[in-house]
Formats: sequence, C-alpha cells, structure tokens
Amino acid sequence: MKVDQAKCVGCGRCRAYCTMGAIDFVASGRGRVCAEVDQYECVDCGVCFRAEVCPTDALYEPAPEWPRSVRSTFSNPLVEHKETRIPGRGTEEMKTNDVTGRFKCGEAGMAVEMGRPSTGARFHDIEKVAMAIAALGNITFEPKNPITGLMVDKTTGRMNPEVLDEKVLSAIIEMTVPLERIPAIIEAVRQVTKEISTVCSFDLTCKVHPGESQEQRLPAFELARRAGVRLTDNGKTNIGLGRPLFVEGGISK
Amino acid sequence: MSHTLHRRGTPENLKNDYVIFAMSAKGMNEIGSNEKLQQFLEIMQRFEPVNLGDMKTGNRFIKPDETIVANTRDTSIVHGVFDDREKVIKALAALKEADLGVSVIISGLFDDVHDCCREAGVEPHTCEKSLGIWGRTERLPDEEIMQITTMCGHGMVAFNLVRKMIEDIKTGRCTVKEAAEELAKPCQCGVFNPGRAEALLEEIICLWGVHVA
Repeated sequence: MKVDQAKCVGCGRCRAYCTMGAIDFVASGRGRVCAEVDQYECVDCGVCFRAEVCPTDALYEPAPEWPRSVRSTFSNPLVEHKETRIPGRGTEEMKTNDVTGRFKCGEAGMAVEMGRPSTGARFHDIEKVAMAIAALGNITFEPKNPITGLMVDKTTGRMNPEVLDEKVLSAIIEMTVPLERIPAIIEAVRQVTKEISTVCSFDLTCKVHPGESQEQRLPAFELARRAGVRLTDNGKTNIGLGRPLFVEGGISK
Repeated sequence: MSHTLHRRGTPENLKNDYVIFAMSAKGMNEIGSNEKLQQFLEIMQRFEPVNLGDMKTGNRFIKPDETIVANTRDTSIVHGVFDDREKVIKALAALKEADLGVSVIISGLFDDVHDCCREAGVEPHTCEKSLGIWGRTERLPDEEIMQITTMCGHGMVAFNLVRKMIEDIKTGRCTVKEAAEELAKPCQCGVFNPGRAEALLEEIICLWGVHVA
C-alpha cells in the first residue's frame, strides 16, 4: 500500500487500521504532515484501503511485481490463490474432510501458521520452521498449500530464495502425518520456534475414530497432551453433512 | 485456513460464541454449489445470527444481508455467527433436515458444541484444536486485546484499532456498541462476534487508563 502525498491531508484516520502498524507520519516536502507506509513492513493486506476512512482517497495499491506479489496473495483474503482457488492463505483442510477424505483414521493434520496472530512473518522464518520439520524425514507437505508451492525442495522445506525477505500477515505450513509422528513434530516445532523472530499458531486435526472414549475417538489430541501440549477449550468440528460422503475402507464412520 | 480456530479467551467469555459455516469441496461437489450455499445463508437468517458473511462479498456491517445472500458463488465460504445455544441447536437441526450436501463446520467451546450436535442429531466427523501460540510471544499485545482481534482469523482487525476504539469510548467519541461494530467491519468473512466484542470492551474500559494526545 502507498500514500499519494499530494492528496494526503495528514488526518491520521488510516493509521489504526494498519494490521502491521506500518503507517507513520512524516513532514512532506511542502511543509505538511503526511502519512507514509513503511514498505518493508507493509504486507499489502488492503485493510486500510477497504476501511474507506481516507477523506481524500490518498491510499492506493500499485500492482505488485514478483517477489513482492506474494505479500498480497498471503495477506489479503480477497486475493484467491491459483493453487487452491480459495481466498485466504490455507487450504480446505478439515473443512471438507467429510467429502475429500484428506485426513483418515490413523492420521492427523498438523499446521503451523506463521505470523498469526497479527505479527506477520518473513519467509526466512517460515523456511526455518519448514526445514526443521522436514529434517525429521519423510514429511509430505500439503501439495495444494501455496507455501508448498514456494518450496524449491519439498523434501528439505527450502524456499525459493527470491521470497525469503518478503513479509506476509501469515502463512501456513501444512502436512498430514501418521498419528505416531505427532510427538516428534511437536518437539521439532517446540525447538525451532525458540529461534524465530515471530510467533506462530499451531493446530491439530483428527478424524473422529471408532470407539467409546474421547481418547479412542480423537487419538491425535491425546497424543498431543502426552507430548506436553495444552489444547485449547474451543475448536472446530466438521459435522459430516457433505455429499458424497467419503467412505474409508471398512472403518469410516 | 483455520479462520475460526485460535480464538483467544476464557471458557467463560467464549461461552455463547458459535460460528457455523459451509463450503463445497473443489473438484468434488463444487459445481452449482452456489445455490446450496445461498440456502445455507437463508437457513442461518431464520435463526437470527449476530453476524453473517461470505469471504467473497463481505459481512453484514459493510454489506446488506440480501447482497451477501444473492452474491454467493461456487467458491464461497459462508458464515453465520450466533450467541445463543438454543438457536445453534435449531440451526444445526435445520441444516441436517435441508441436506444441502455441502460441508458444514461449527466452531465454539468443544464440549458444548458436541453437546449441541448431539441435541440436533448430527455427529462430529472431523475435529480440529489449537495447540496455542508458539515462538516470540513477547511480541504480542495484551491478552485482552487479542481476545478481540483473534475473532478475525485472517488478522484483519488490527491491535491498534482496538486501542483506538478504547480511546474513542473513553473520550466519548463513540459508544461501546458502535466501537464493537466498527471492529467487526474489517473481518471480511463475517466471523467476528460483535456482541462478544462489546462485552470484552466493557471489561477493558473499566481496567484501562487512556492517553489522549
């Protein structure tokens, strides 16, 4: 996002809407105070523009060139990724699992959303976490996730070097793993997040398994608890109304 | 993306905060699903949601409900937010009855949501939980601010906007309700719960001082 300083009257209304706190005020060449967007910190999310608070329409977003273009594709939920055709920065993940069967019994979905909440992440930190997970060996990152599309080596998690210094509001490293790998991945994330300069939100998905007890029905959550993680009290539940329902060989609910 | 997961809060203030949403699966049941998603929104409307939205069009604080409903597309993700348990149960039962064939997801306090599902006659198929925030957590603002901003999972509600709204309330420039609705506007999908924001702001303004330049 940029500010047309010839139009800006320095009223400051846009400042609070900036998700990255990247709008500041500077003396313009003509002795006036004008808004200025720190281009290194701005993630091109478009919130300040869409808020329609600028009385002189001074905010504008030039068409971004590569590699800056990754900022808006990951940060502005109105921009649809060509890989997923989903607006936003992730995939359908568990939302359509009743139809796609992406996560089956004996598996878990794990996702590390870098930069969330509202801190933002640069790709060098995203790469650090992806590589730490990949170093465990035999990790398949979700092929439809746009982050995976930016990896030049999907076995090591190495990202395209051209994007490493780009900053996005958040980006999700996503994978499906056998249940028994959950503790090792949690430990890898625990260690590598000591070395990053931002935050991430970590989540875990599990198909409801056959069984009576909570531990039998949602074994991934029990494994995470045993790995020393406190799961939140709230969560997300797909209620299986999608059709055609994915039928897993013999053990689908 | 998990845009309704990772909402921060206490079990007490997350009570009565439910998001029900729907989407079709790309390449599976996508074609023609816009009509089903439209019907989903119409069902939501029957049970008086506190917010309604489609990521493609916007939420009810920036677009009329009729526009949101009329503009659904096959790739839409459509949402209704509720603050009343009984309405949630009725909405879930109505969705089961309608048998739209699109995937339906509900977010909220896990055990309570599963009780609601049981009462509505629907069964959990797949579940997702947050393992919390990791990394440089010292960069985060106060927990009270995050409880408001994380209601928009895409991070469209800026920490500084909450601070500004607190300042505006304290200096009489707006009411708590007006501030909550202003905070709901940037959350394009309409998953932000303005009633919960209002309650959280009421708590914050009792505790926070304010600096007016």
